[in-house]
Amino acid sequence: MTRKSILLSALLSTTLVAGAYAADLPAGTDLAADQTFTYRVLDEFSSFDPQVVEDVEGANVVRDLFEGLYNQDADGNLVPGVALSHTVSDDNMTYTFTLRDNAKWSDGKPVTAGDFVYAWQRAVAPELASPYAWYMELMSIENASAIIAGEKPITDLAVEAPDDHTFVVHLSQPLPYFAKMVTHGTTFPSPKWAIEAHGSEWTRPGNIVSNGAYVLTEHVPKERSVRERNTMYWDNEHTVLDKVVTLVIGDDAQALTRYRAGEVEKTDIPAGQYPALAEEFPEEAYALPRLCNYYFTFNMSDTGPEAFKDVRVRQALSMSIDRNVIVDQVLQGGQFPAYTFTPAATAGFEVPDVAYAGMTQADRDKIAKELLAEAGYGEGGEPLSFTYLYNTSDAHQQVAIVASQMWKQKLGAEVTLENQEWKVFLENRGAQNFEMARGAWCGDYNEASTFLDLLTSPSGYNDGKYSNARVDELMTTAKSSQDTQPLYTEVEQILADEMPVVPVYHYSTNIMLKDSVEGWPINNVEQNWYSKDLYKVAGE
Amino acid sequence: MLSYTLRRILAVIPTLLILIVICFYLMRLAPGGPFTSEKPLPDAVMKNVLERYGLDEPLHVQLWTYMKNILLHFDFGPSFAQKDRTVNDVISHGFPVTITYGFWSAVFVLLCGIPLGVIAALRHNSFWDYTMTGLAIFSQIFPNFVLAPLMVLLFTLWLGLLPGGGWNGGQWAYIVMPAIALGTSYMASVARLTRGSMLETLNSPFIRTARAKGLPERTIIWRHALKPALLPTIAYMSPVFVYMITGSVFIDVFFSTGGIGQDFIDGAYSRDYSMLLGLAILYSVLTFALNLAVDLIYAWIDPKVRAGL
Repeated sequence: MTRKSILLSALLSTTLVAGAYAADLPAGTDLAADQTFTYRVLDEFSSFDPQVVEDVEGANVVRDLFEGLYNQDADGNLVPGVALSHTVSDDNMTYTFTLRDNAKWSDGKPVTAGDFVYAWQRAVAPELASPYAWYMELMSIENASAIIAGEKPITDLAVEAPDDHTFVVHLSQPLPYFAKMVTHGTTFPSPKWAIEAHGSEWTRPGNIVSNGAYVLTEHVPKERSVRERNTMYWDNEHTVLDKVVTLVIGDDAQALTRYRAGEVEKTDIPAGQYPALAEEFPEEAYALPRLCNYYFTFNMSDTGPEAFKDVRVRQALSMSIDRNVIVDQVLQGGQFPAYTFTPAATAGFEVPDVAYAGMTQADRDKIAKELLAEAGYGEGGEPLSFTYLYNTSDAHQQVAIVASQMWKQKLGAEVTLENQEWKVFLENRGAQNFEMARGAWCGDYNEASTFLDLLTSPSGYNDGKYSNARVDELMTTAKSSQDTQPLYTEVEQILADEMPVVPVYHYSTNIMLKDSVEGWPINNVEQNWYSKDLYKVAGE
Repeated sequence: MLSYTLRRILAVIPTLLILIVICFYLMRLAPGGPFTSEKPLPDAVMKNVLERYGLDEPLHVQLWTYMKNILLHFDFGPSFAQKDRTVNDVISHGFPVTITYGFWSAVFVLLCGIPLGVIAALRHNSFWDYTMTGLAIFSQIFPNFVLAPLMVLLFTLWLGLLPGGGWNGGQWAYIVMPAIALGTSYMASVARLTRGSMLETLNSPFIRTARAKGLPERTIIWRHALKPALLPTIAYMSPVFVYMITGSVFIDVFFSTGGIGQDFIDGAYSRDYSMLLGLAILYSVLTFALNLAVDLIYAWIDPKVRAGL
């Protein structure tokens, strides 16, 4: 379902497409006797509390333990969760969700609209101080910002429960993709009675009460967690996996060894090993498109080098990067060469034509040389030299070395490579204490604005301090527009002309997944997966 | 002896206080903080978060609060990274794991290292000596980050005998590889140390006297030679045991044991101040306690030392 049809169906107050949720078993599937799925995670989870969790792996667990208004199907489309459908007011500012009457918590209590009101108030409460409170602000819920700033009490959050099965949200501005944002963990309901009874220990096995397809039954920090089928879940009869186990394995290579030994059924592929593994395990190695980009950002603030203020220099540096070499020969993990900031995989986004994307690399190199000469740098001009800053990692180092070689050979630029530990890097980049730096961004939701907002002047993440009034205006218009594609096309074209950042590639996720595990949402670019949709087939 | 012990314990208190203060300020010198992230938090959210953890106070106030909480409530504060847990909670989960395989590793080091050294010394310059010495040197040049993957390859992937990692409540199959990988190079040192000191002891006048008296060789070795020959080994084992526990970061990460080594690494990367400080205090107390224990054992074995206390 495209965004347009969600809106359409919402406006007509129709029910969302049903049927695509719960494990989708083809007739005659020979299920494995043991329906336990064990997978590897890199780190210990930040939390199992839906309003507190901030890491991706933690969010995956929370999505199993709790169920929000809507879920996503295997393609990333919205399907009913606790909510069956919603209507939107004429001004697009009020959303009314109708909740199912058979949803239950794991202790047998019914899931009500009041549980959502409690959870959403909790998410913005200054006392809880959730780092993800910003997500509620992003959702444009009326008064969210004022509550976070401590100016209003949490009861002023514009969410209501007129009855147990109706949940109403008032927005401060129309937000076309609002309904899509409620698949995020921060918006999931939470059990007031359990939280009040156990305080900060309410997420421990035994204390936790949850409304998702699974309940947490075991948790040994930094080692393993086990979640088992929630018999109270409204769609429990369609759930196939009985048990889901996570093992924390901090070392990529060791995780792969344990995958080979059959101890885990899903793991990440260590950098650079995808081609070899795809050959060895053609049925098990996957390269899936992911909603993330990788770019070089120019420091365009006052602290940045003079050369980068010249658009021709920025153009030349971007044009002379051979993205195919980086993708096909350095990374080799099914990544996509990028000429736009927004990944092609983004829902409802058509990659606009930007001039340099269609050229051959030879043409780009030729133009790059000319542009640099015009700007007065390179051969016959002032030598171009700058420092490229990245966070310490083998993969980033490889990209940095290759890029700096391209710049040296083609443009004669002298690039000093500098790497820093993650938090030191973030601190320096955030303080414009760099010349050129690595940047990467993963979408918070599946819509182009999650990327393009980054390059607007007020964005707190715009570390290069690029500022273009037209871009700001277009992105503001897009917030309430029903037809955003022309706006995003224009923004991308401005970015290609002014080149405040050099898009390099769009990410892919490289995973190993055992042949026996079925139902993995390989087409969901956000990789939001639900254990209730998976099942294991018997080995042939 | 008792007053000696008490004096030692009292002396450690100011040392610990100084250590806490230094660590506390050193950690804050590192750029970035626990809540620095790729997606910088909006100011209002950051303010709430800092307030909740008391990080908005001036540093000396934070230090004072921290000290008070430790002394009055034995509370080492919340973990900033594992948000559902406190430092006490994390350490009480991870420390037993690390100390369990650390203990078995030490047992392995002593049970293999000492006999290897003794045999090599008794069969000085023979085939056995060369084999043992060769084996010891071979183990010493194999750091645990080389040995551990090799062991996993052999015992997990090829032979399928042992699990490649995890802890599972501390079943023996999960302890074997971490304990051996952690101990091997120390075992080699112990073997060489024992061999050297055994050789020296065997050549000393009192052993010659014992031989001249016609004592059986077994009595000479077990009753008279072994005890003094082990003194250097015991002195060596105390810091080694602390190293084994604190230096087991790689083992914890590689074998996913759930031990505290992983927290130390993660704590440093994520600037989890309270976690790091908690672990630093734990490691210092441990170092002190084991040093004291060794000094007491030393006094028990060596009458010369005992007289000096």
